[in-house]
Amino acid sequence: MGSSIVQAIIDGVLTGGVYALMAAGLTLIFGVMDIINVAQGIFVILGAYLSYSLSVHAGIDPFLGLLITIPALFVVGIGVEWGFMRRLKEGDRTAMSILVTYAVSIVIEGVLNISFTVNYVQIHAWYVNRSVHLLGFYLPYIYVFGFVMAAVLLIALYALLYRTRFGASVRASLQDRTAARLVGIDVRRVSTISFGIGVAVTAAGGMVFGATNAFNASTSYDLISRLLAIVILGGLGSMGGALVAAVFMLVLEDVVAVAWSPIWATAVFFAALVVVLSIRPAGLFGRQVARAQ
Amino acid sequence: MTSPSAERPGQSRAASGVLLSLDGVVAGYGGGDVLKGVTFDVHEGGITCIVGPNGAGKSTLLAAVSGILRPRLGSISFRGENLVGSSPRAILGRGIVQVPQNHSLFREMSVRENVEMGAFLVRDRRVVAERLEHITSLFPIVAQRARDKAGSLSGGQQRLVEFARCLMLDPALVVLDEPSMGLDPKTLRSMFETVRLMHADGRTILLVEQNARAGLRLATHGVVLENGRVRLTGTGREVLEHPEIGALYLGGAVAPEPARS
Repeated sequence: MGSSIVQAIIDGVLTGGVYALMAAGLTLIFGVMDIINVAQGIFVILGAYLSYSLSVHAGIDPFLGLLITIPALFVVGIGVEWGFMRRLKEGDRTAMSILVTYAVSIVIEGVLNISFTVNYVQIHAWYVNRSVHLLGFYLPYIYVFGFVMAAVLLIALYALLYRTRFGASVRASLQDRTAARLVGIDVRRVSTISFGIGVAVTAAGGMVFGATNAFNASTSYDLISRLLAIVILGGLGSMGGALVAAVFMLVLEDVVAVAWSPIWATAVFFAALVVVLSIRPAGLFGRQVARAQ
Repeated sequence: MTSPSAERPGQSRAASGVLLSLDGVVAGYGGGDVLKGVTFDVHEGGITCIVGPNGAGKSTLLAAVSGILRPRLGSISFRGENLVGSSPRAILGRGIVQVPQNHSLFREMSVRENVEMGAFLVRDRRVVAERLEHITSLFPIVAQRARDKAGSLSGGQQRLVEFARCLMLDPALVVLDEPSMGLDPKTLRSMFETVRLMHADGRTILLVEQNARAGLRLATHGVVLENGRVRLTGTGREVLEHPEIGALYLGGAVAPEPARS
């Protein structure tokens, strides 16, 4: 029992890293633009299908394929921002963004259902069903590779935000859009690129998700509810919060599944959200005051 | 000389020429014109203080100068070049910076980072470093609290850091929108002292001030705005001592003093 719980914790941390990456994109978009991107779930699935197609039809390794799918999703994100998001008025942007991104999500879901049917598929590669045996625990290669990739991309994202001029302009826009404009930051451009980046990371998350789960377009609903729970738990707009919350939630879920029953795992996931929010209404790392916008 | 790429911050400028000129500016927010033909000049090297009752159009005027609001009619020229239609960013690039009424620091960033953000448009790191050094000498708080989050400072301290930040662009014209807002009397004095310091450092200042008496005392030029029109212009002292103005605005609504004759 003890070792199976440790195994569950290891699994939770490894998959939590990948969820952290997907959630980081979602929270970045909210932080900069006050937009709740409900389409993040379907973008993950779109990324998974892209990797799947490249692997099945062109024989491209899913990790190598990220060189194509990440830029592709970045372009999709830019397109959605340009086509819809920037047309939302500042005052009621958050509420409207939920409706608009939901609509975008439904359209993409329809296109995916037509293109790939509703049959479940899964991404295959040599490392998907193999594990490395370490100190008595089994570490599936795909979890390890996925975790390392997520860590590398999160570090890259951190470096972009905290070590570059563009990153400074993103952080400034995240904290106060008006003040950012006053120092000469082109907030609109920053928003577009941030949206692109927030969506682009789903390509990487989607690839690992699609290799560890059988999926179809409707899987996006389960995904988005988890991702939203993670970013709300972490505190909307907080990257570090998303990271901690993702690992916490996935570990919790895996431990409950082993120690208690898989049936309760998902329920506990959302119960944890309710409990934390009743103590800290702005989430673990959220600003405890209302946004001053 | 005073563009953001200028090498040396803060040299004193001649107190004669016209830096900014408004001519017949008509502007508003859709619900009718707030400014109904505003004409006045801001003289280089001076402190121009705009006073007037609430709703006179003071904030609208500043929005038009900084490019946030495009005037419907009239012209705004800076060193003889038309500004109407330029983006806020382009206007900033010409050396007109604005410190808004509400606190505008990036709360989660350190004081030093905040000040450095003021030079966002300046790409030459050497220039940024030089200016930072100069500004730190003017505003000791920038060095003392360099690593503290801006959100942890008091209201008055935040105001000073905002001033420091706006100087990082080596602006020709500093526009201050009611800097005394929300400050206690003691902090207020040191804030006005700092405005004087910025002026001594060679900046032309355009100030909107609710605290009309303090603002006009500080100013070389005064502009009284009323109902979207300029009611009176003159030196700060002239406006301050004008009988009607004194009774209307400076005595306050509580106990208007009888006009001196």
